[in-house]
Amino acid sequence: MNFGEGLTPEAIAFGLFTILTIGGAFGVVTTRNLVRGAIWLIVSLFGIAGFFVLLSAPFLASVQVLVYIGAIGILFSFAVMLTRGMTNLKERFNSQWWLAGLAALTAFLLLMMGVVIPVFGNTIAPVSDQVTSTVDLGVALVSGNQYVLPFEVASLLLTAAMIGAIVIAREDD
Amino acid sequence: MISVESVVVLSAILFTLGAMGVLLRRNAILVFMSVELMLNSANLALVAFAQKWGAADGHVFVFFVITVAAAEVAVGLALIVAIFRLKQSINIDDLHQMEG
Amino acid sequence: MTIPALGDLNLYVALPAIFLALFTTFLLIIDLFIAQEHKNNTAYLALGALAVAFVWNLLTFNNNTTAFLGMFVADSFSGFLNMIVLIGAMLTILLSMDYLRRMGIEQGEYYSMVLFSTAGMMFMGSANNLIVIFIALELLSIPLYVMAAIRHQDVKSEESGIKYFILGAFASAFFVYGAALIYGATGTTNLPAIFTAVGEIVNTGSDSIFYLVAGSALIIVALGFKVAVVPFHMWTPDVYEGAPTPLTAFMSVGGKAGGFAALLRVMVVALPALTVQSGDAATVWQLTLAVIAALTMILGNVVAISQTNIKRMLAYSSIAHAGYILMAVAAAGTAGVSDAATRGMLVYLLSYTFTNLGAFAIVITLEKEDGTGTAIEDFVGLGRSRPMLAMMMAFFMFSLTGVPATAGFIGKFLVFGASIEAGLVWLAVIGVLTSVFSAYYYVRIIVNMYLRDTDKPSEIVGETQFVKYATYISFTAVLVLGLFPALALNLLGGAQITLASLF
Repeated sequence: MNFGEGLTPEAIAFGLFTILTIGGAFGVVTTRNLVRGAIWLIVSLFGIAGFFVLLSAPFLASVQVLVYIGAIGILFSFAVMLTRGMTNLKERFNSQWWLAGLAALTAFLLLMMGVVIPVFGNTIAPVSDQVTSTVDLGVALVSGNQYVLPFEVASLLLTAAMIGAIVIAREDD
Repeated sequence: MISVESVVVLSAILFTLGAMGVLLRRNAILVFMSVELMLNSANLALVAFAQKWGAADGHVFVFFVITVAAAEVAVGLALIVAIFRLKQSINIDDLHQMEG
Repeated sequence: MTIPALGDLNLYVALPAIFLALFTTFLLIIDLFIAQEHKNNTAYLALGALAVAFVWNLLTFNNNTTAFLGMFVADSFSGFLNMIVLIGAMLTILLSMDYLRRMGIEQGEYYSMVLFSTAGMMFMGSANNLIVIFIALELLSIPLYVMAAIRHQDVKSEESGIKYFILGAFASAFFVYGAALIYGATGTTNLPAIFTAVGEIVNTGSDSIFYLVAGSALIIVALGFKVAVVPFHMWTPDVYEGAPTPLTAFMSVGGKAGGFAALLRVMVVALPALTVQSGDAATVWQLTLAVIAALTMILGNVVAISQTNIKRMLAYSSIAHAGYILMAVAAAGTAGVSDAATRGMLVYLLSYTFTNLGAFAIVITLEKEDGTGTAIEDFVGLGRSRPMLAMMMAFFMFSLTGVPATAGFIGKFLVFGASIEAGLVWLAVIGVLTSVFSAYYYVRIIVNMYLRDTDKPSEIVGETQFVKYATYISFTAVLVLGLFPALALNLLGGAQITLASLF
């Protein structure tokens, strides 16, 4: 991170969104209350939407707000309400928490090696200002590189998931 | 200006937080929320890299990841509610019906 | 902006998968008009669709071309793999028909879910792009989560569904992050294009190599969860035990085939140049995969010994078999061995499909409505009370061990051969030793059937028409493949993964 030129608006926004994203995630991982967990998740997702704006992807930012925060966040709140009685947790972590923690920590260190080393290399480049508009995204979906196949398979996937959710939730008759 | 690499490092931290949530928490909904955090960290990295390469492919990938996440949430929460109806518990540690 | 014409998409070669996918959505609607008493009709339709896709697949076999402007490859590898998953799905439906009715969980959507999952496997075997692999992986998995939990009143089944789901979602997250890092290093998600970019990165010694290594490690972890190799196998036995038995069979066969197909394609098409120094013969990931394979073979076989439930035993056995198949993927990491390794993997998958589905067919025959009848003790005296059934079960157990003249032997022979050719002799030795070791628990079933006697042999409740068909088909196939391996090998011909247009 290069703050050499002083506190630019971008740097301030970066810091703010970092706090939202990481803080929210930390809340999800540590909270004892499921409702708060859902709200922390939404805070974190909101931070990500902010990053999308910073990274010149306004369309994805709006999709993030609409689909992730709007739909998925609400679904989680529903699930929390439908499983009442589980809202306040006595124990925070599972019984093998130290083992899991160790595994996560090892994975973290390895992953950080992978992503941090390039930072100290000479590949650092400032983000371009090129905004990816909705038009660019639409064009990428249907022409040039051709995302027709994933698009169609994704529609199959949504059908399967929808039917599947009904099959699971249906009371036996 | 913010750099691509700093966003990627941030996404790696978020990914690890999510993975820790999955491994540490015992409530199925919180575990699942942590999975969503992991998917979001990947989205963040994808958007950052798309900016690095100046192409929309990364954005298209994010698009599909959000679609898949929606599908997963639909099925996953249905499963969680279904098991709650049967057992009045969604603690993964309590899923001890099967031993061995 | 150019919008390609329909003709450019080269849809013809993708038709088997497209047909299956389209038919599945129709089947969902048709099923609404089929009365609950006649749900077998849904199953017949599903079987018919699979058969049509199978024939179509034979017609488009060996095309070695791409469709959807490079997103979809139709080569002999994907053709053979489609064959395996279609056979697996057909046998699964045969096994399911009476079983579902017997257990009182018959629902028309079940068959559509099997077809959705099969279509996902077919797309996965043909995927030439990380995005397609990801979405196909989900299309493969989500129906499996649903089907695992289809026994609503049974806590075990619901638990199996939720455990499989959390594991699967966790794995997908790893896959996406790994794919993101690879995209970050190479700027593309297209496998052949990644290959080119990797070559440049290795040659120039760019720092992006760290992204690549981290990314490919995450993808190995993700697909490792999907195919259940050690140390990502934790919940597999629980999932396999709790799910309805025909579905357990399908998961152990089809899910594995899809997962390994994607793993092999990513490793062999996109990352074969990921070496420590340019010009090295073996890739960076080879040793990792070899070690995972060794651990999987050892742990799977050792833990299987102490199991008392046949479904759990077969679950650990399937973990062990994942280890043998992974051995082939590891062998493909040495330049020049990838063709032999691919052939080994395909034959292994084919023989494992028949053998395992056959073994599960026998388990279904013995399983009672209340879920009992699946203890290893329940096989005692079967040799006297039901000689034919016992003989077939014994044969499947020999095939799982890898005794010569069974299908299992051919698969192991080819995989061990490829492994030795790749210079991984130590891995082949571990493979042979663990195979010998595994005989202990497979033969125990045979001992129970023939050498121990009981006054009350278990009652056979599930020997219904379609289960019988599935058993006989599997038995014949294991026998024929074992005696005339040339049949499969000829069909396989020069099966190989098309290395795009680079060579």
